[in-house]
Amino acid sequence: MSLKASPTLSSRSGGCTLTGALSVTTHVRDAASIIHGPKGCAHHNFSLLHATGLDNDLAVIPALVSSALAENDIVFGGEEALARTIQAVSLRDVSAVFVLSTCIVDTIGDDVEAVCAREYGVPVIPVSTAGFLGGTFHDGVNKALISLAGIAQPIEHDRNVNIIGEMNLEYEVEENYAEILRLLTLLGLPAGIRFVHTLKFDEIGMLGAAQLNILRDPSLVPVGEFLKSRFGTPYISSFPHGLSGTLAFLKSVADTCKIDGSRAMGIERALQGEILADFADLGESRAVFSGPVSDPVSFQAAQETADALHIQVGKDSGSTPVPVHPVVGTAGVKRMLHRWRRALHA
Amino acid sequence: MPECDNPLWPCAMTGAAACLAGCTGVSVVIHGSSGCYYYPSTLLHVPIHGTFILENEVIFGSEERLLEVIGSLSGTGNRIAVITTCVPAILGEDVKAMLSGYDVLFVDSPGFSGDIESGYARALELLAPQVDSAAEGVNIDGACLLDPFSRGNVQEILRLLRLAGVSCRTVLCDDPLEKILRPAPYTIGTNTDFSSGVGETLGGTLGFKQIRETFSLVADVFPDADTGPVFSEIGRQEERVIRACDKYLQRFDPPSVAIFAGASYADFAAGTLEQYLDADIRCIGLRNHGTLSRPAEYAGSLGQVQAMIETAVPDLVIGSSFERSVSRNRAFSGIIPPLRGTVRLAPRPLAGINGTLAFMEDVLNACMDRKTRNR
Repeated sequence: MSLKASPTLSSRSGGCTLTGALSVTTHVRDAASIIHGPKGCAHHNFSLLHATGLDNDLAVIPALVSSALAENDIVFGGEEALARTIQAVSLRDVSAVFVLSTCIVDTIGDDVEAVCAREYGVPVIPVSTAGFLGGTFHDGVNKALISLAGIAQPIEHDRNVNIIGEMNLEYEVEENYAEILRLLTLLGLPAGIRFVHTLKFDEIGMLGAAQLNILRDPSLVPVGEFLKSRFGTPYISSFPHGLSGTLAFLKSVADTCKIDGSRAMGIERALQGEILADFADLGESRAVFSGPVSDPVSFQAAQETADALHIQVGKDSGSTPVPVHPVVGTAGVKRMLHRWRRALHA
Repeated sequence: MPECDNPLWPCAMTGAAACLAGCTGVSVVIHGSSGCYYYPSTLLHVPIHGTFILENEVIFGSEERLLEVIGSLSGTGNRIAVITTCVPAILGEDVKAMLSGYDVLFVDSPGFSGDIESGYARALELLAPQVDSAAEGVNIDGACLLDPFSRGNVQEILRLLRLAGVSCRTVLCDDPLEKILRPAPYTIGTNTDFSSGVGETLGGTLGFKQIRETFSLVADVFPDADTGPVFSEIGRQEERVIRACDKYLQRFDPPSVAIFAGASYADFAAGTLEQYLDADIRCIGLRNHGTLSRPAEYAGSLGQVQAMIETAVPDLVIGSSFERSVSRNRAFSGIIPPLRGTVRLAPRPLAGINGTLAFMEDVLNACMDRKTRNR
């Protein structure tokens, strides 16, 4: 049963800008995020961040503060409520304050930037995130990342490789990061900062030092472009998907960093061979791909894996549905194959 | 109103959605942005719909979009219910007039107008159930999709009613719409924070004392009922609780407790822990503005909760996973949403006989785990 029973005429289900931005700003651990709007907006997001944090074994509670607009503020304007809230939060032990707007604040016309521009004794950074007025979840992520990147100044490059725009709300965020770290280690490259995942405000200053930025997802290309123009850092537009995608990723990183990637690729190819051998029992099965995702990259990675194991994929009556997830790297393919085994041997 | 750190309770719009989405045969439409849709959608675990309005509709009006969504849902046989969120509520549009040509329920329950309970009550008021004096059986009250114990409560009270030979007419609000609109004259409660006020109440079912009193009235009102098996089961199960608690007290001091919940569950937890464990109830933080029979204060933000726990220094914290996240290594038992970070598959009650058993089982295990962990 679908939990997202939006009408078929709707193509507006891109998620909330505010949630996207909060998934970034709340990972600056020594800063506070103010949500300028009614308490409900802050609760919705706090509840979601709390839930995903627990799923990811994070004990840290996001510091969200609501300006708690009530009916009166909505009638007469919420700017003073915001100023009061920033003032109160700036007196706490925080390195910075992010101010995120909500749908209703843009509708009533509060000048959030002007309120943020006043002097509070700590950096106050506005991020325009008015739900539907601001765009989608991904827009919120991009806006927050670009707002934060604007704080960092250009510095001398080193050998580090930054990870940009991890999906902090996804269940396997740490496992995906570990996979990228493993691949970078194979190439002998040190990891730089995770922009933004469990970061201190001061560490943002190191953003421009990396020799390469790896984006989590192609939707972050505007962020990659911003970083390239600000710091001259090239970028790779996505984490790798599937077996051949992982090998191509290694080659691409090696080429960009001007190192020899052939040894790393050889090791990775051998690892992939071992994994496929471990799942040889799935060979000659008949399967049909099922959700939860339908993006072409994930399906391509799944098809390639099925082909390598001689699993026949088709919609005939004897086919068993196997789940297709967005898998990152070789490790992601291996985890997907365990789920396929459960389904095919059920 | 002062700023609020990490607000802990959902808004009125979510409350209205929780009420209406519990009525089978109603298609709930959240008239607002995608963010306002996704929260109740993921929280209530039932299909709901949204208008997902965009900037265009805010500037030029949302009527066309709203009617487009209603059009796409018509023909399913379901009654459509539209709930407004903050932005449409302040746009000044006459949504009621927009919907005048349609058989649509309209609930004006924007988030800024209050908390979940007020939205739930507003939606129920709109449904305006009319007691059917000829209807047999009793209504079960206080079911709310947001409450993780709601399904378990209903199952448990249905079981007790079956034991007594009394039928259930309507579950408010987790039943087909036509049953909700025509309830029976008598009602028994589960979670009174979501009380409907429909029919004559025979009492609640939180704790053995309430169950006894309520089923005594059930016996008075329904001459054919045989409540003997219910009383006999209460006797047996209460004895088991007493034995388990005595065994605990033989080794350990009574726990000091901080309770965070809505008024109904908080009162139940405090009364039960005092009665069977001689617990020291150090503080009660209420999520809502309900009243209860002992001192309590409103605690709607995580900052307030944290401060109360730090002051009370309790052995045991009762609340949600929000409370657990600021309880460090204290014993914890969850009675209100959200209950994250733990797998919950089976419907567990807090109401009825099994509700008290499940609650005490959870508390005793949590306290004993903590004692042994801290050795």
